Amino acid sequence: MATDLAEASAVRVRSRHARNIKEYVTGWSFIAAPMSLFAVLSLGILLYAIYISRYDWGLLGARQYLGWSNFTHSIRDPVFLRAIRNSLVYAALVVPLQSALGLVLALLVNSKIKGSNFFRATFYFPSMASSAAITTLFILLMTPAGLFNKILHFFGVNISNLFNQGQWLSDSRTALYSVIVLNAWTTSGTMMLFYLANLQGIDGSYEEVAKTDGANRWQILRYITMPLLKPAHFFVVTTGMIGALQLYDQAILAGGADGSPNYSLMTMVLYIYNACFRQFKFGYGAAIGLELFVIIFSLTLAQRFLFGSRAWKGDN
Amino acid sequence: MKIKIGKFLLLGALVTYSFVSFIPFFWSISTSFKTESEVYLNHLLPQHLNTAAYVHIATKITPTLYSLFFNSLFIAVTVVILHLVLGSTAGYAFARLRFPGRDILFYMVLATMMIPDQLRVVPVYILFVKMGLISGHPSNYLAIFLLKAVGALDIFLFRQYFLNIPKDLEDAARIDGAGPLQIFTRIMLPNAMPIVATVSILTFQGTWNDLFWPSIILQAPNHWTLPFGILQFQGQFQTDWPPMMALVVLSTLPILLIYLAAQKFIINMQLGTAVKG
Repeated sequence: MATDLAEASAVRVRSRHARNIKEYVTGWSFIAAPMSLFAVLSLGILLYAIYISRYDWGLLGARQYLGWSNFTHSIRDPVFLRAIRNSLVYAALVVPLQSALGLVLALLVNSKIKGSNFFRATFYFPSMASSAAITTLFILLMTPAGLFNKILHFFGVNISNLFNQGQWLSDSRTALYSVIVLNAWTTSGTMMLFYLANLQGIDGSYEEVAKTDGANRWQILRYITMPLLKPAHFFVVTTGMIGALQLYDQAILAGGADGSPNYSLMTMVLYIYNACFRQFKFGYGAAIGLELFVIIFSLTLAQRFLFGSRAWKGDN
Repeated sequence: MKIKIGKFLLLGALVTYSFVSFIPFFWSISTSFKTESEVYLNHLLPQHLNTAAYVHIATKITPTLYSLFFNSLFIAVTVVILHLVLGSTAGYAFARLRFPGRDILFYMVLATMMIPDQLRVVPVYILFVKMGLISGHPSNYLAIFLLKAVGALDIFLFRQYFLNIPKDLEDAARIDGAGPLQIFTRIMLPNAMPIVATVSILTFQGTWNDLFWPSIILQAPNHWTLPFGILQFQGQFQTDWPPMMALVVLSTLPILLIYLAAQKFIINMQLGTAVKG
C-alpha cells in the first residue's frame, strides 16, 4: 500500500515535471517571434548604432575609425546647433500648448451638456488624419493669398503691413511658430482623450464634499481636480515631449529636406535624414541619433523627478 | 440665471471649437472641386462641382493613384494581421503561461518603447541594405513588415486584457483536456474581441498615416504609400492645389470612414487605452 502511494506520487511528480517543461516550451514558442524581432531590431540595433557612430561610414560601409569625432564634430556644426535649438524651442512651446488645450477641451466635453459625445468626436478628428494630409492642407490655408490671411483681412488686419507680409510659412521668423500652432491643434485631440480618461476615473464624492463646504467651481478645479490629475499631467507632458523632440513630418512637408526657409524648420530628426540620405554620412547620422536619444532620455528622467516618483507609477 | 449664462458660454465655446476642428477638412474637400484660378478667391464653395482634379490624379500621376492606394492598403492590412497574431500570442504567454525568464522578458518588451525610431533609422537602414531589402523588388515590402511586425504596446494591451479574463473558463477547458494552444484559440481569443478591435484600428491608422519609415525604406516609386506620395507630389503640385487636395481627400477618406463607423467605439477604446497606458 505504502509503496503504491509512493509510486503514484512519483508518477505524479514526473508528470507534473513533464507538464511544466511542456508549458515552458509553449510559453517560449509563443513569444519567440516577437522577442527575436525585438532582440535584433530594437536592442541589437542600439548596439549597432553605437558601433556605426564611431566610424566614417559611407554608402559602401565603414571606411575609417573615428573614435568620438562624429560627436565632437556635431556640436561644432552650426546647422546641427540650429536643429537642436529649433527642436527645443518647438518642444518647449508645443508641449504646454497642446497639454493646456487638451485639458481645456477635456473639461469642456466632460461637463454634462447635451451632445458632449458629438463634440468629443469632433475635437478628436484632427488627430485622426495623417500628418501628410493635414500639413498639406495647412500649407494651403497659410499661403499669402490663403484663407487664414483672408480671415485676418476680414478682421481689419492689413496683410501688406504685417512684418512678414502674411508669409507665415515662408518667412524664417514665423515658420516654426506656424508649425507649433498646427501641431498644438492636431495633437490636442489625443491629449483631450488622455485627460478625459483620467477625469472619468475621479471619484465624484470629492467634488460633492467640496460643494457642500461652499467651494465654487474655480476652487474645485484648482484644489481638487488639478491635483488629482497629476498622473495625467505627467503622462501627457512626457509623451508629448518625446513626440515633439522627434518632429519630422511637418518640417519636411512644410520646409523641404533643408527645413527652409533659412533652416528655420530644420529639426534634429530632419538633420539625421539629411546626414544619411542626402550626404550619405551614416556614421554622423548615427551619432546624432544617439545624441537625440540621450536628450529624450534625460528630459524624461528630469520630468519624472519634477512630477515626483508616484506620478510615474500612475498612483494618485 | 447665472447657470444659464454659464451654459450658454460653454455651448458657444464648444460650437466655436467644432468649427476650428472641422472647417479645414471642409476646406480641403471644397478646394479639390475648384478650378485652379478659383483657389485664391477663397469662396466657401466651388462655383461648379469641378472634378478635373480627381480625373487628373486618377489618370496623370506616376506612380498611379491605384499603386499608392494598393501599397498603403497592402502594407496596413498585413501589419494589422502581424500585430494581431504576434501581439495576442505573446500577450497570452506573458499573462497566463509560466516559464523561466517571463518577467524579465516582459520588462525587455516595455524597455523597447524607450528607443526612438530616429535612433534606429541609421542601423536599420544599413542592415536592410546589407540584407538586400532596400530595392525595387517586392522584397522591399519585407523590410517594412519586419520593421513593423510587432508592437510593444499591443503585447502590453493584450497581456493586460488576458489578465482580467476569469481563470475558471480556462480551468474548465483544461479539465476537458485542452492544451494551451486550444485554450488560446477557443477561450482567450474569442473573449478578447474588444482589444482585437482596438489594436486593429490603432495599428491600421498608425500604419496608413506613417510617413517616416516609408520615406526611408520605400525608395522605389512603385512601392510608395499615400503619405509618401503626398510628400513627393507636394513640390510638383505647389501651385496646383486642387489635385493636391483631391489626393489629400482620397487618402483621408478610409480613415474617416473607419472613424465614422466606429466613432463611439474609438473614443471609448482610446479612453480605456489611456487609462492603462
